[in-house]
Amino acid sequence: MITIRDLRCGLLDIGSLDIEPGITSIIGPNGSGKTTLLKLLAGITIPESGEILVDDRSPRNVETGWVNEFPDRNILFDTVADEVASPLRFRRIPCNETSRRVTSHLEFMHVTHLSTRSIRELSGGEKILVAIAAAAIHHPDLLVLDECDSHLNESRAQETDQLLKETGARYIIRCTQQMESAARSDRLIYLEQGRVIHNGSPPEVFSSLASSAFYPLSWRCGL
Amino acid sequence: MRIVLDDVRISREEWSLSARGIFTEGTHLVSGDIGSGKTTLSLMLAGLLKPSSGTIGREEIVSRMISFQFPEHHVTGSTLREECASWGIDPDTVLASVNLTGKEDFPPLKLSRGELKRLHLACVMAKQYDLLILDEPFSSLDCREKERICNDLSLCTQGITIIFTHEQMQFPRVDFIWEITGGSLCSRGRLPDALPAWEHAPAVIKKLIRRGNLPENLTQKDLMEAACRT
Repeated sequence: MITIRDLRCGLLDIGSLDIEPGITSIIGPNGSGKTTLLKLLAGITIPESGEILVDDRSPRNVETGWVNEFPDRNILFDTVADEVASPLRFRRIPCNETSRRVTSHLEFMHVTHLSTRSIRELSGGEKILVAIAAAAIHHPDLLVLDECDSHLNESRAQETDQLLKETGARYIIRCTQQMESAARSDRLIYLEQGRVIHNGSPPEVFSSLASSAFYPLSWRCGL
Repeated sequence: MRIVLDDVRISREEWSLSARGIFTEGTHLVSGDIGSGKTTLSLMLAGLLKPSSGTIGREEIVSRMISFQFPEHHVTGSTLREECASWGIDPDTVLASVNLTGKEDFPPLKLSRGELKRLHLACVMAKQYDLLILDEPFSSLDCREKERICNDLSLCTQGITIIFTHEQMQFPRVDFIWEITGGSLCSRGRLPDALPAWEHAPAVIKKLIRRGNLPENLTQKDLMEAACRT
């Protein structure tokens, strides 16, 4: 369980929030604090006050994969293969094993055809797929994804959801502006002006948002 | 006013894109898979990238604007005030329209991506152009903002507007559908007749068509009307 208590950081003000294992989507208006919350969960930012524990550990003591909402800010190396290999190389995994795992992981993420390409020449969606591959290759306990699906078409977003489940990450926490995608999550958190307004299963949260633009179109159309 | 693509082709190693057709006045929506060449085509239409072969004729188009997929690639000012001024528009008016009043001295790249996209689109939409190209204009916007931008785009009735997107939920009123499939740009024609042939149509639209409820257009109102039709 991820437990958040008396958390304050910038706009964000969360008294108490528990997040169970599985896929959790954070939704809400632009500027409501979604990215701030994700950065705190990933251990990139330290709270001004309060506490976050991931299975009783501080976020910085948890194996975490992180994908930034600005695709270019995820890139450290030139080629796709080097980028995806980098988390293993930073951990001094032997070269042969790194090479074997990169080959198999690129195949798993369906991006083998991009392996020798320069990341800077890729499309926005391809850059995100590579960033997700790099974030997931070292089998993190926690995967934190900031609006990755804003660069993916629906079929690729659905396929990626399935692959994310198969990574074995205990917690997958993402923010999204695609409500069809949010509806496929195990649970939703709706933030507004830094506060958790709704928290629960997709039907519970969306029932409170039925008259808003956040309600999934397919649900509104009864499809 | 029109854009004529005459046997346009661009290639890179094993990848290629071919395009022929005419973009007339109205709003065009172009869809395609990841890496199919949507951004490449948008750059060619804007005149920022030369095709390997073929020609792109822009007839009677005097003013043109392209909005890149990544709003951060447009930023030239070190503050929001400077950024707005760089577009030749009044910062106070634009910042008020996107709820960023009070952040005049804030660095644009410290905004959330959604806020930056909102500001960028407000700067783009503050003027009218003969040719407006929008590459993924809805990405990172929250649902309310998507709705607002779609309403603004639906009111845009002059010139040529070309929207490249894989958005599945919020659309403006659109006149023509195109898609990139099998390495070629294909015209699916004018709405609503274009919809049954649209391979990349959102799942909701495909389900409505399967039910026999062809929407008149792509706005939420049109989709709801089709869904409620008996």
